[in-house]
Amino acid sequence: MKRTAPPDADLPFALVARVGQALRLAALEKDGASHGLAVGMTLADARARCPDLLTAPHDPVEDGKLLAALAGRMARFTPMVALDPPDGLVLDITGCAHLFGGEAALTRLAMAEAGLSARPALASHAAAARALARFERGQAGGEEGLRIRALPIAALELPEASLSGLRRAGLKQLGDLASRPMGSLAARFGEEAVAKLRAILGEAGSPITARTAAPPIRADIRFAEPIGRTQDVLEVAETLLEDTARQMEARRIGGRRFVLRLERADGALRHLAVETALPTRDAAPVVRLLRERLESLADPLDPGFGFDAMALAVPRHEPLAARQTSSETEDREEETIAALLDRLATRLGEDAILRLHPRDRHSPEKAQALVAAARGLPGATQAPALPRPLFLFDPPQEVSAIAGVPDGPPLRFTWRGRAHEVRLAEGPERIAPEWWRHALGHLPETPLLTRDYYRVEDGAGTRFWLFRHGLFEEQTHPRWYLHGLFS
Amino acid sequence: MVPQPSPSRVPLPPPLAAGHLHEIHADADGWAAALGFVLAAVTGAQKPTAPPIVLVRAAKTRQGLQPCGAGWAQLGFDSRRLVIVETPDSLALLRAGLDAARCPGLAAVVLETWGPLPDYDLTASRRLVLAAERSGALVIVLRGDAPPRASAAQTRWRIASAPSIALAAQAPGHAALTATLQRQRGGASGLSWLLHRDGWQGGFHDKASLADVQPAPLSGAVVPFPALRAGETHRAA
Repeated sequence: MKRTAPPDADLPFALVARVGQALRLAALEKDGASHGLAVGMTLADARARCPDLLTAPHDPVEDGKLLAALAGRMARFTPMVALDPPDGLVLDITGCAHLFGGEAALTRLAMAEAGLSARPALASHAAAARALARFERGQAGGEEGLRIRALPIAALELPEASLSGLRRAGLKQLGDLASRPMGSLAARFGEEAVAKLRAILGEAGSPITARTAAPPIRADIRFAEPIGRTQDVLEVAETLLEDTARQMEARRIGGRRFVLRLERADGALRHLAVETALPTRDAAPVVRLLRERLESLADPLDPGFGFDAMALAVPRHEPLAARQTSSETEDREEETIAALLDRLATRLGEDAILRLHPRDRHSPEKAQALVAAARGLPGATQAPALPRPLFLFDPPQEVSAIAGVPDGPPLRFTWRGRAHEVRLAEGPERIAPEWWRHALGHLPETPLLTRDYYRVEDGAGTRFWLFRHGLFEEQTHPRWYLHGLFS
Repeated sequence: MVPQPSPSRVPLPPPLAAGHLHEIHADADGWAAALGFVLAAVTGAQKPTAPPIVLVRAAKTRQGLQPCGAGWAQLGFDSRRLVIVETPDSLALLRAGLDAARCPGLAAVVLETWGPLPDYDLTASRRLVLAAERSGALVIVLRGDAPPRASAAQTRWRIASAPSIALAAQAPGHAALTATLQRQRGGASGLSWLLHRDGWQGGFHDKASLADVQPAPLSGAVVPFPALRAGETHRAA
């Protein structure tokens, strides 16, 4: 499968994979054969035949994902779609073709939908379709039984030893095999050869296992009389949550996102969505979150003449094993803290609940990031060897400072209109700019400014973290900035 | 190796007790000192699975100050325990703080506030007190540039940074601060301490008790042992 267009469309393009000790071509673009290339050839041979061959590493996992996505798209033609490994799809179009104007039209549509270079084949059962799609040469046409009999014996997809045995016996097409008694074939080439042959000929069944999407988790309810009070809405929501909890329990999942749909009597729709940090099946915390959401709405819930239907969907869920009610306090504490953070996140927004994530960066202000707590737990912060302040100014605040010697610590500085006399000073800690992150940062013509950090204490005992932005070789009049406060 | 204050000296300040509300006043210069004082109270009880600390602050702080995880780690505080809640206004801040104070299992709830904060009245502080008593959490209201006001808090402190004891080559020493206990419910108040962070024990001590824990001067060829912490002895030997 070719996913991205090669830079130069005229040059042949191939994917290579390591097989044993050699790099071999795993996939070729459509006209690869015209350059004398074939799948399975070593890369060295391929380069000898075609020196300007473009290659990229083969990624079977990504291919699998693409195939699964393609299978999902094929659901518009038939509900029965199965993967046909390694790189095929089987569609059972029984009873579906007339909806698209016949089999040929459906095939054309499916090819257009796929958007890849692919070979379609139609047959009365899956094994024959696979064999025809992969091994039929030349123009497709004629009666299906004859086409199958004309297939080469490679269509049996047997090990090379069996295939060469068949070839030596002068059997080149499936038709040659089909006309012989199966018993002798089985005795000579094994049970598998006969089973494959019978499947392709349609004498044995070749059922497909269609991909089935798990049904969405939802519950809905309709009222004989519209309801309008918020309390009633929440009580009904609790009933719906209990219903979805039963569905989720059977599938051993817990909801992370709950969407409540309120249908007003005059047709207006309203959606309320809440999210939890941990997967849950309990109704009570979700109801609390819904109440929180209702209270924090910018425009309050307007029932009008009342809601006459409600539905609850759980669009996002995660595995959650069935659990005995735990009596361990630690578990419960973890849950109550998670519930607290959910409640605050519902009220204040997900980006208001933050955790400090350490980053592997050189600049002090980039060595950490505030990330929403819902995006996962941070790693541990290593205490650096040199002192770091308790608070950082973001951005650093410019101060006017006077230094005794050009490269020395400041003697006094003015911050927010107040002069501070430096009593004690330590430094510098020289922190280089991250030149490797800038396109031209390594060139001497475009220097980035080095920082010299000083830890200073003024007469009143306040400890500051100041830096001079730029060395004197880099700048004639470097500026001073206040970057942090020590305890 | 805990320093035992002699009876003639003023005892160390009472610790910030869990299950109570404490107010800490500081101005902009002493802001980091106040936070250091809070952290010293919180890092004291290190457990293998230490409970989180919730820091509730206004989204747009006047100062533009961000907590620096590396600096906290150097004071022995694991930044994984920190949860920051940013609130749009002071009312939301108090509400979020109250919700957090009601949640059992947190090590501390710190409300970072600036200015007079008219919403923080006797009722609001009483609510926080009740929540802290029920959940057993340590609830601290940091008040920056604010006049003291009547409240239901257990203690009210004023923290300011103090000149440190210089290290070699005129380098700033370990953190030092003056802590004034302005008010204490059912206890003495009006006391003041000059506290220095203990470089190798953690926490704050006054200068006199700090002298107690200095390694004894060498006499002859005797190896000094007090500088070794328990658990490191065999490695050093």
